[in-house]
Amino acid sequence: MRLSISNLALFAAAMVAGGSAQAQSQLVIAVPQLPTPRNVETEGGQTGVIGIQIAQQIVSDLRTAGSIYPTGPDGLRHYTPTEAGAPLYPNWANIGAGALVTGYVQARDDGRITVACYLYDLKQRREMTRKGFVVDPKEWRRAAHRCAGAFFTAVTKRPGHFDSRIAYVAATGSRTVPVKRIAIMNWDGTDHSYLTQGGVTVTSPRLSPDGQRIAYMSFAGGMPHVRVMDVDGSNDRQLVQSQSMSFSPRFSPDGRSIAFSMAVDGNTDIYVVDVDGGFPRRLTTTPGVDTSPSFSPDESRIVFESDRGGAQQIYVMDADGSGQRRISFGGGANSAPVWSPDGERIAFARWTGSGIGIGVMSPTGADEKMLTSGWQDEAPSWAPDSEWLVFQRTQQGTGATSLHTVTVGGGEPKLLATPTPGADPNWSGAAQ
Amino acid sequence: MIRSIILLAAFVGSAASAQYQPYPYPPPPPGPGYPAPAPGYPQPGYPGMQGPVLALPVLEADLRAKAGSDTVRFGRDSYVLTPQAQATLTAQAQWLIQHPFVRASIEGHADGRQTRDYAFALGERRAAAVRNYLIASGVPPQQLQIVSWGRERPTTAAAHDATWLQNSRVVTVLKQQESYFPPQQPIPQPYR
Repeated sequence: MRLSISNLALFAAAMVAGGSAQAQSQLVIAVPQLPTPRNVETEGGQTGVIGIQIAQQIVSDLRTAGSIYPTGPDGLRHYTPTEAGAPLYPNWANIGAGALVTGYVQARDDGRITVACYLYDLKQRREMTRKGFVVDPKEWRRAAHRCAGAFFTAVTKRPGHFDSRIAYVAATGSRTVPVKRIAIMNWDGTDHSYLTQGGVTVTSPRLSPDGQRIAYMSFAGGMPHVRVMDVDGSNDRQLVQSQSMSFSPRFSPDGRSIAFSMAVDGNTDIYVVDVDGGFPRRLTTTPGVDTSPSFSPDESRIVFESDRGGAQQIYVMDADGSGQRRISFGGGANSAPVWSPDGERIAFARWTGSGIGIGVMSPTGADEKMLTSGWQDEAPSWAPDSEWLVFQRTQQGTGATSLHTVTVGGGEPKLLATPTPGADPNWSGAAQ
Repeated sequence: MIRSIILLAAFVGSAASAQYQPYPYPPPPPGPGYPAPAPGYPQPGYPGMQGPVLALPVLEADLRAKAGSDTVRFGRDSYVLTPQAQATLTAQAQWLIQHPFVRASIEGHADGRQTRDYAFALGERRAAAVRNYLIASGVPPQQLQIVSWGRERPTTAAAHDATWLQNSRVVTVLKQQESYFPPQQPIPQPYR
């Protein structure tokens, strides 16, 4: 693993991951409850209770990171708010942890609360990171997510995903005439809401890098086309004025342009257009189907799928459409490529003739590795940390779909519970 | 020679003897199954018109009866029209030529084993193949439009490889006109 762990106290907890006997070290982090100088009733509850809830949220966030083992808040000693910024190291020496989370919750005169959180290396006796927020008391969970994300980044040197969002298509009704709505939620399934109301069929929601806009495909008006709206549902408009069908949108990493597919008289090609509209630039010209574009993080290249050689395979081109070359040679039909936020990997779906699974490869096509082998696993999308993937799994027979997450290290996919059957997920790259 | 001159004279004579008479509007079509005339159009009917315009379900049933099916099927990943599909489409084309005021939406579908984006592209490709065949068979292009549903509308709820291949299809869906008289032109004056 790519962890910077040299200067940390570690519990060497060997974990067998994904069938490969890969020893993985876990850092134990103690998370006692956050104290409050004065227990004050706020709109979000008593500040003392909020302190306990924030500690619980940090623990449950960090527990999902494979390289961290959080403990608490139960069973750990209490401390005073003044100790939060200067921990008494001898008092924490015997709890069996390599790192300690402290902090406090304090009510302000304006009705908001101050949330502070610190991470200390107990072995080196030094501060690793700190975060402070002034938030509405009802938004304490957001502060907890951001604290956990900062701790995750301090330990692993990678961005956390605890404050990120996932958009997906929620399907209700019968399978033959489904009602599809775009929904958005926190990465752990909380704070769930619907952005469209099911009057028209919608698919392929794609969040902008800042998480503020969403591009999607809509059947409104009879001709399927790409639309863009804000995540609160306002400013909904058609991306390109065209009589042709457009689909498969994806934002560029700077959020200023959108790559998409347009089908003109049986020929699907990839185009790029400014996010505010304008004249689209055509990037591919082959008679085959070219679709599912995804930018590299530096925006210099685009990975896409094409059936120009027969079966669907994954190709890479420069952002201006030049230098198109195939990179997938691992067998089967490969589709739906997505470039990871750190640029190191490309996730894809592979049809083997009997099933579809999720795999990853390097941008050159090397180091290919299959992560899942379900009957039909598809539509992968990267978390901001480039470590996790969310994807859609379809059950044989019933055709029921659900969302699952998996790490690039492998392992058993975890169900991401949604109120209705979920499909076509997209994880926002919203930074901390 | 003499006989043809006589015939020609008879034809000219009959044309010359025809007096102008206002074309009587036929009575409104009775009973259910017939749409009401649109506002601005008092009654349907003018010389050359082929009977009353029927409601969509009636027309669709007629299309299925005359052409054999409103659906053509494809193999996996394929957009090649099979001989059976071509026979069906030839019959559909004849029906559409006989009903110039009915518009058709050519709706392409792909099976659920295709990934989503590719399913949209493949459905569009199949619909375009069907439309091109119909145009080649004489159907006016403006009578047709194409839509791809990708894999969003499977025919069967069950998800198995065998049943999902049934979703690789193109359906000819007839569309209701915005107005009762599709060609927006005045009723032609009879020839004097």
